[in-house]
Amino acid sequence: MDEFALTCERIAATGSHLEKIAILAEYFSQLDDENLTRAIRFLTGNPVASAPREQTLFGFEDPPKLAIGHATLRRALQLATGWDLETLRQCQRAVGDTGETVGHLLRDRSKGENLPLCLAEDLLFQLLAERQPTRRESLLVEAFKRHRPLALKYLVKSLSGNFRIGLLSKMVEEAVALSTASPIADLRAANNLAGDLAKTAIAARKGQLSQIEVRLFHPMDFMLAKPLPDPLPDTVLKTLSAGSWLVEDKYDGIRVQVHIENGLVEIYTRGFERVTSTFPELVHAFGSMTGAAILDGEILAWQGDRSLPFTVLQQRLARKKVNRSMMESNPVVFVSYDILYRDGRLLLDCPLEERRSCLEQALSRTKIRIAPQSRLQDVTTLEMLFGHARANGNEGLILKQSGSSYETAKRSGSWLKIKKVFATLDVVVTAAEQGHGKRASMLSDYTFAVLDGNQYLNIGKAYSGLTDTEIRDLTKLLKSIVIGRYGNRVLQVVPSVVLEVGFDGIQRSLRHKSGFALRFPRILRWRTDKAPKDCDTLDRVRDLYESTLNLTANRNIDKE
Amino acid sequence: MRIEYHPSGIYLPDSNLWMDSREPVEVNWISHAHSDHARGGHQRTYSSVKTLRFLQLRDAEAQNAPQNATVLADREWFDLGNGTRIQPVPCAHIIGARQLLVESGGERLCYTGDIKLKASLLGSATEIVPCDHLIIESTFGLPIYSFLSAQEAASRIVDFAAKCLRKQEIPVFLGYGLGRGQEIVHVLTNAGIPVAVHGAIGKLIPAHEVSGYAFPGWEPYNPNKLSGKALVVVPGFKEVLEGLDIAIRIAYVSGWAMLDHSRARTGAEELIPYSDHGDFSELLEIVDRSGAKKVDVVHGYTEPFANILRQKGIDARAARVESFAEEDT
Repeated sequence: MDEFALTCERIAATGSHLEKIAILAEYFSQLDDENLTRAIRFLTGNPVASAPREQTLFGFEDPPKLAIGHATLRRALQLATGWDLETLRQCQRAVGDTGETVGHLLRDRSKGENLPLCLAEDLLFQLLAERQPTRRESLLVEAFKRHRPLALKYLVKSLSGNFRIGLLSKMVEEAVALSTASPIADLRAANNLAGDLAKTAIAARKGQLSQIEVRLFHPMDFMLAKPLPDPLPDTVLKTLSAGSWLVEDKYDGIRVQVHIENGLVEIYTRGFERVTSTFPELVHAFGSMTGAAILDGEILAWQGDRSLPFTVLQQRLARKKVNRSMMESNPVVFVSYDILYRDGRLLLDCPLEERRSCLEQALSRTKIRIAPQSRLQDVTTLEMLFGHARANGNEGLILKQSGSSYETAKRSGSWLKIKKVFATLDVVVTAAEQGHGKRASMLSDYTFAVLDGNQYLNIGKAYSGLTDTEIRDLTKLLKSIVIGRYGNRVLQVVPSVVLEVGFDGIQRSLRHKSGFALRFPRILRWRTDKAPKDCDTLDRVRDLYESTLNLTANRNIDKE
Repeated sequence: MRIEYHPSGIYLPDSNLWMDSREPVEVNWISHAHSDHARGGHQRTYSSVKTLRFLQLRDAEAQNAPQNATVLADREWFDLGNGTRIQPVPCAHIIGARQLLVESGGERLCYTGDIKLKASLLGSATEIVPCDHLIIESTFGLPIYSFLSAQEAASRIVDFAAKCLRKQEIPVFLGYGLGRGQEIVHVLTNAGIPVAVHGAIGKLIPAHEVSGYAFPGWEPYNPNKLSGKALVVVPGFKEVLEGLDIAIRIAYVSGWAMLDHSRARTGAEELIPYSDHGDFSELLEIVDRSGAKKVDVVHGYTEPFANILRQKGIDARAARVESFAEEDT
């Protein structure tokens, strides 16, 4: 862990991606196979991946996860350093990262013993096996007193998997490729199949990347669609006219990948999260399918023959386990549109049309829906198709290039999406909150309001869309107009900063004083040219909301 | 001794003496020349001779030079004539910085101003004076803060510059206009590294030379002559440099460089945790060796630091004043 930690510090101390990769590759090449496996598991936030895990009657057990809470860590730190909890809380707040806080506070306090990776892993296994909080604490305290602060900083960081050293997972892949002299594309493809970078790295060392076989029950990369500008520029229209394209509705649900083999079913989100237990009726629906497959598609709230608003789906997502009444009040379906694997055969490189017919065949004896698809005859029909998609409760359109393979590396342009901002509002910032991680020292989360008479009523909160420079400038400005404080992190400010926000929808909400909430609000611009009195009013918000009701009135789904 | 904490500064009503007042008052002590502590417009001002020199330099431009300024000599009592006598005590922070010892009604009060205990690269060493009541700053009053010594910082600064120059990259050091900036220029020039200096930092170098510090061969910043030189600029200048088509590497020399997230805030790659404020253990040692029974904490982590002192059996409180602007950035 000491070498590992030094490597991480060196990676943090350069802004150059290439240098970061080179430093990591050099470190990797000094490790034997066992330690390389450990180092990669630590780096990818999965330090206890090799702990035994069991297959049960209903699928796999959750992969082992080391859930060590802040409270446990803080108590262990208290015991190891003698500092009171209030002081520790203040330190944690100033630093913004638990591992780093641990490192700082243990300075000059430890015995300075080496912490080899195998010992670090062993310690985590012990913590994993230990159910009793006080025993966990004493394991940590013992480690805190024994090893060097820098090693402990990164040991604790590896518990959360968030190292904050500017290292993206794709850069770890590149370092593996560099240290094993393998082409990066081959390494990525192999890792996508194996779902285990440590295993892939060892295979790469032995020159056996091509022998890696697809393994089910780990999420593979999703193919993403490139967003098209609105309105469509002539160049895009030309490209579309020149090629051959298939059109599907773009659904407003949760993108998932479903793995099926021997009656076992697992559902993974794009965030690689396993959500199988949230959707038992889908697991049941796949029961009638034979063979093995990996499907790509979307989970939608559904009634009759059309999809319901995302809010209905959201209520489902809020539950880890669902009961029968939830399943009845918030019914869901899976709409599939692609297939990545079927009965031992990997389909990523097959043309779109071939995958489609394989999908149809695979689902022929099930009731699983397949997204309707049509061939784009003429770009002039896009406007009409978009209107139909919206009338069906869908978000927009997705265009797929005829003959294209399932490309996971980047937004390749073989899939294109047409989606329009629902509307924009000019809003006023009423409160600002300290960010996390990289933005811990800045005010990067803003609560904003619209005007009603002469008062400002909050309608939402957003934290993306501005550049770091803008956030820095805004932080300075907002700090100068603070009028109050809620809790530790939120500063109330004089309403004076106007932002333009775009959003995808509007709904009633008790959370905000305005009585409305925006869907996917994102900051489009900082309107330095506008004064707060020029911002949009609650009346405009009400009008926008009513316009969506009219659109969906005949669907009788609004449960207000 | 009664002490009042006002948003504008610290006031001793029995002695009619303000300390570091930011509003015009009758009688004011200026601990050092940083602008958040030293404002003009008072009827009478007391300071060290070097602090006064900085103020005259700065305020000559603003045509606001201190009126009726009286220079007080180190370690000599000065009688205010109302039963109070005051004495400046050497203090490591920036050149000219002094603590103030106040004696009134048989009680000794010491106001540290901004202070560190370890030697600074430029300026006096701190002398600790026994007192009954101490007013101390706590900019870095949490146990996470532990800084490099001046020598360690100097070698990190030189190493970073040399490493960048070897790779044909331009090392950039961010430091504010009075203090840190000159410390860095002093270290680099004396190591024989060519240095280009931002105007705000450069214009105060002569005033440091008068105090006996050498800055051999520094040049003013010139955007057309950058290659092969280390740059020392004020933090706000970073955006200008990023706009030029040159490969720069930024080092951040500051107490805040203790924290990894300062990289995101400053764009620095190299963090060199060194400050002209004391780190946590220095602040504790100052309190300890002063023997003060009562301690008031101003600036920074006032509540947590006072809380830590109370746990050590000291009658400590956080002075509730609006914090002065954060200068160590």
